[in-house]
Amino acid sequence: MPMVEVLDLEKDYGKVKALKGVSFSINEGEIFGLIGPNGAGKSTTLKILATLLKPTGGSARIAGYDVVKEASKVRELISYLPEEAGAYKNLTGKEYLEFMAKLYAKDEAKAREMLELGMELSGLGERLNDKVATYSKGMARKLLIARALMVRPKLAILDEPASGLDIVNAYAIRQMIRRFARSEGVTFLLSSHNMLEVEYLCHRVALINKGQIVEVGTPKELKDKYSAENLEEVFMTAVGANISEPIGGEGG
Amino acid sequence: MSDFWVMAMKELKNLFRDKKLVFGLVIVPLILLPVMGKAVSVGMEQAQETTNVAIVNFDDGEYGRILIKALEVTPNVTVTVVNASSVEEAIQRAIEEKQNVLVVIPPDFTAKLKANETATVEIYGIFMSIGAGVKESVSEGRINAVLQVLSDEIARIKVKNLGASNPDAILQPITTVSRSVINNNVVGVPPTVVSGVIAAQAFTIPLIVFMMVMITSQMAAGAIASEKENKTLETLLTLPVPRTHIVGAKIFGTAMMGLVAAIAYMVGMKYYMGSFGLGSAGVSLEDLGLVVTPTGAMLFALVVFTTIIIALSLAMIVATFAEDVQSATTLVSAVILPLAFPAFLLMYTDINDLPSFVKYVLLAIPFTHPVIDYRYVLLSDYRPLVISLIYLAIMALAILYATARLFSSERIMTAQVSWGRKKKRE
Ligand SMILES: Nc1ncnc2c1ncn2[C@@H]1O[C@H](COP(=O)(O)OP(=O)(O)O)[C@@H](O)[C@H]1O
Ligand SMILES: [Mg+2]
Repeated sequence: MPMVEVLDLEKDYGKVKALKGVSFSINEGEIFGLIGPNGAGKSTTLKILATLLKPTGGSARIAGYDVVKEASKVRELISYLPEEAGAYKNLTGKEYLEFMAKLYAKDEAKAREMLELGMELSGLGERLNDKVATYSKGMARKLLIARALMVRPKLAILDEPASGLDIVNAYAIRQMIRRFARSEGVTFLLSSHNMLEVEYLCHRVALINKGQIVEVGTPKELKDKYSAENLEEVFMTAVGANISEPIGGEGG
Repeated sequence: MSDFWVMAMKELKNLFRDKKLVFGLVIVPLILLPVMGKAVSVGMEQAQETTNVAIVNFDDGEYGRILIKALEVTPNVTVTVVNASSVEEAIQRAIEEKQNVLVVIPPDFTAKLKANETATVEIYGIFMSIGAGVKESVSEGRINAVLQVLSDEIARIKVKNLGASNPDAILQPITTVSRSVINNNVVGVPPTVVSGVIAAQAFTIPLIVFMMVMITSQMAAGAIASEKENKTLETLLTLPVPRTHIVGAKIFGTAMMGLVAAIAYMVGMKYYMGSFGLGSAGVSLEDLGLVVTPTGAMLFALVVFTTIIIALSLAMIVATFAEDVQSATTLVSAVILPLAFPAFLLMYTDINDLPSFVKYVLLAIPFTHPVIDYRYVLLSDYRPLVISLIYLAIMALAILYATARLFSSERIMTAQVSWGRKKKRE
């Protein structure tokens, strides 16, 4: 059974059709990337999977549970990092992680273990005792990713985890995700508009444009198929060729 | 710890560490109210200090001297007799000697009294600076009282000289003894005093309830809007915590903060009122046979509690339509203020005197209930309280249910009123 199964997902915001039949599936332990330009529908897809929005059509299952009908079950399995996220300003970084750990852990010992993992993952050291209000953008993002990962979810849904950060912070965050995925075997679904970032991190990618999946496959498969140097080229060619004729479901 | 308590503790930490909030809720009432009371009472105390009265006597008959003696023995009045040949000169003297009041006894004072004509005494209040003028008016009042006594005394002597056996019965053919009937008990206190005491109560309780409703609903709105503003809402809604617990924890947090604020306001009010000696002096509720029994207090506390829960959930619903704390507080004021305001109408009006349409409209608003119910508490009449409580509880459950529903839908993320622009998202 795949970890994530998305079938013909549609979402309308009033008149705006954000998703027009998106399908893909993710296997357990995979790092899956959803890539596409701004406004393609990446965040909308991830929000539906994170049980925040309800689809107007189609369905999505996580570990077999329907994201609409069994939302509370799904929430126990996932952890979601929004594209734009913050932490409670009046809490310290450590208090924030502790608060989250207590909500996910079943007992004290487990909560402590999660907290320790979170503190280590964040790499914030002593600064964890300072209020979140005093953190830089990069520090806050690290704290949030640490909190998303420390609970060892079945599926981590990260919306543009490194966007808007400088090279050093973005690199550190990619390292953190890659190392964690290897050591813990957590399944990842992440979105990005940075094709190179995705190539570096993901086992498989789906190209999304204007609410439709254009291609799905491993970076290598896609590059071979389009005889392209990198995913950027793949994307440009794929979009140019298939703009009105999307390929849904499993690619390659 | 259950997830509800984890959430509730986070709410408390987040709220109580908000310096602006704590300042407004605790520091302001605890410091500002007593200071305000102190300032007012200093003014009143100054007014109670001895006033300096200058007297110029142009009369050399016996009644002029009697008047001066009567003023000399009046408490809190220091009398200085000035010698002057004209009123202008006397005023000049009074100013030089920093007197508050000048009393002028005219040359024909004794003569007129003896001739059974009305004699006139002139009183000048001397304003040294344009302050509140309390001293001058207080002195005038005191002198008038003295003159009244003197006037009565002279009248009595005159009536006696005319041969009446009981001058008092002629001077005051009718006297009244005022009593009040409260709650079927006769109390030996005049109705004016009773209504004064009740008015003081009628003013304080609605004011505190109104403040609590406004403050806590602002806080609840802030608690929701800050989740949006700080971009923590989306994460919060994907946590493995039932939405009802999220809503419940927020209500709990703000209600606790509201409780702290209520205590601070009550302590502050006590000092504020205490500075006027309103609490200690005069007639207490017990003297009037109006006792707040434990049952009454408990029922009233429940009424206030449910009212605040209604305000909080209403504020939370309203706040979901705002994107940031500032627009949330504005929006909440715009919704709650008109609802809470009619409570003030009832401070001096008995709801049963109003036309029944107005009465039921007012009763439909939850925030008028504490004001009305407080009177029933004083009268130990618990039936209306219980009916109120049932109505409020139903309202509270309905609004809580609506809040929980809203938080379970995606409207909480997409709901938004756009200011000015004609953009509507559904
Ligand atoms: N709350 C919303 N209301 C209306 N339209 C929205 C809303 N959120 C997103 N959209 C629209 O849906 C489309 C997809 O947006 P999004 O999923 O955020 O794209 P991406 O994350 O790929 O940049 C865009 O056209 C965007 O304008
Ligand atoms: Mg996005």
